Amino acid sequence: MTGEAKLIVQGLSHHYPDEYTGESVHALDNIDLQIHENEFVAIVGPSGCGKTTFLNIIAGLLPYREGRALVDGTEIRGPGPDRGVVFQEHAILPWRTVKRNIGHGLEIRRVPKAEREKTVQEYIDLVGLSGFEDRYPHELSGGMKQRVAVARTLCADPVIMLMDEPFAAVDAQTRITLQDELNRVVMATRKTILFITHSVEEAAFLGDRCIVFSRRPGHIKTEVKIDIPREDRVWKDMVDNPKFTEARDNILRLVRSEVTNDVDS
Amino acid sequence: MSTADSATIRRKSLKKTITDSRAIQLIILLIGVVILWSLISAIIERPDRYLPSPMTTLFSSVDLLKKGVLLSFYADTLNRLVIGSVIGIALGIPFGLLLGLNRNIADMFYPLMNFFQSVSGIAIFPIIVIWFGNSNTTVMIVILYTSFFPIAFNVLSGVRSVPMRYISAARTLGASRFQIIKDVLLPGAMPSVAIGSRLSIGFAWRAVIAGEMLAGQAGLGNMIFAGQELDNTAQILLGMMLIGLTWIMLDHFLLRPLESDTIERWGLVQR
Ligand SMILES: Nc1ncnc2c1ncn2[C@@H]1O[C@H](COP(=O)(O)OP(=O)(O)OP(=O)(O)O)[C@@H](O)[C@H]1O
Ligand SMILES: [Mg+2]
Repeated sequence: MTGEAKLIVQGLSHHYPDEYTGESVHALDNIDLQIHENEFVAIVGPSGCGKTTFLNIIAGLLPYREGRALVDGTEIRGPGPDRGVVFQEHAILPWRTVKRNIGHGLEIRRVPKAEREKTVQEYIDLVGLSGFEDRYPHELSGGMKQRVAVARTLCADPVIMLMDEPFAAVDAQTRITLQDELNRVVMATRKTILFITHSVEEAAFLGDRCIVFSRRPGHIKTEVKIDIPREDRVWKDMVDNPKFTEARDNILRLVRSEVTNDVDS
Repeated sequence: MSTADSATIRRKSLKKTITDSRAIQLIILLIGVVILWSLISAIIERPDRYLPSPMTTLFSSVDLLKKGVLLSFYADTLNRLVIGSVIGIALGIPFGLLLGLNRNIADMFYPLMNFFQSVSGIAIFPIIVIWFGNSNTTVMIVILYTSFFPIAFNVLSGVRSVPMRYISAARTLGASRFQIIKDVLLPGAMPSVAIGSRLSIGFAWRAVIAGEMLAGQAGLGNMIFAGQELDNTAQILLGMMLIGLTWIMLDHFLLRPLESDTIERWGLVQR
């Protein structure tokens, strides 16, 4: 893989304590993972296997005790602007306009207003929200809200972008559009991305690598490489791309076997 | 660009149409009330004692205006309301915020707050009179006391009800604790701040009137009370009307605009 490792995870496990029973929920089991610069890594796995737990630990929102996690060589201790997060349920602030939501990270860093507005406008154009700068989130469609969330994260210029099922709440048609757009944005910004999804198609379409998690306690079952140049990843061409269909079917089989095991036990 | 603009214009003209039809409704309602009031006053015996007509009531205000007392009563009362509720809210917001931010402090103060919230302004009146006599101070303390709790309680619950994901989002953008309070918790608590302010000012308004009556301080409350002793029913009605109308004006020119520029604009409440 090209570039240096931006994210290094070694032997990471997690137990959620249960205050009432005293027993703990074993959510993650011994995860080893490296993500390199400019790499797009997708994670799929059955519901409840610990994907969000993993992302929250990397985001610094959930403290961990077992194992190590480093971003850009520094041990993760709490959240920081080097790791931008796009949450599953849109988490843009209702009391800020599109423009001020996208520029929030820069405002927090006290970037001067003129410079901030210039950068914000670039990202507004990039995600196709021109004309909606002064709208409030409640005036936007679900897809537009997620575009704002993506632009807000990009605008803060993180080392790695963490996305937790960002397109799960929009309709199928919008989802395809957003996936195409994300590809375009990834090409333009060359971001390093960790992307969690339920959708095998989405993982195969977007990921350079797809990590398949086992059911809980989540550990890495296998990884599937998807060796398709980013320029070729457009939905209208991808449907007949044999590399894509092969990777998709492969991942689907692996995920199915996890779910079936679940039913048997 | 053009679609956004025309949508804004459409929204504005729609808003204007709604305002116009509301104004017409209000005028019809007013006329109805005046007609009904006049009718009742015309058919009962001794209307001057039981229910003077709208005209008589209006004339009594001219009388009081000539004597110069009406304006000074009104100013006294408004003064107390504004000062009392502004201080009450100015203390209640930071206190509620402190409790909303820190669970330990909240757990410590909660029983005390709950206790005092149940002891109404009227119930503390006698002890305040014993301490401060029938004075302006007594009235002010009661107003302050009454307006403090609703806003403090609402800010507390407002801060706690801000969805965790908004706080997480700000944290991952690198926000400091202060920036989280300023950019997330305070605006997120705005719906509760609005409800709390409304309650606080409403309670303060009642406390002013009751306080003036009980402590015999010059003002609208006292004017109503005096009306009864002087057998001047028109004066009582006039006082009542001023109280109610003042509240409607406060609501229309202060509270509603504040709400429509914030929580309604943000889509946090529906109208
Ligand atoms: N705060 C918590 N306290 C205790 N247990 C938790 C907590 N959060 C999650 N869990 C448990 O940990 C496991 C993993 O949860 P997680 O949310 O990471 O799954 P997920 O893979 O993201 O699922 P989904 O695909 O449905 O979003 C689940 O069994 C869940 O019940
Ligand atoms: Mg999840």
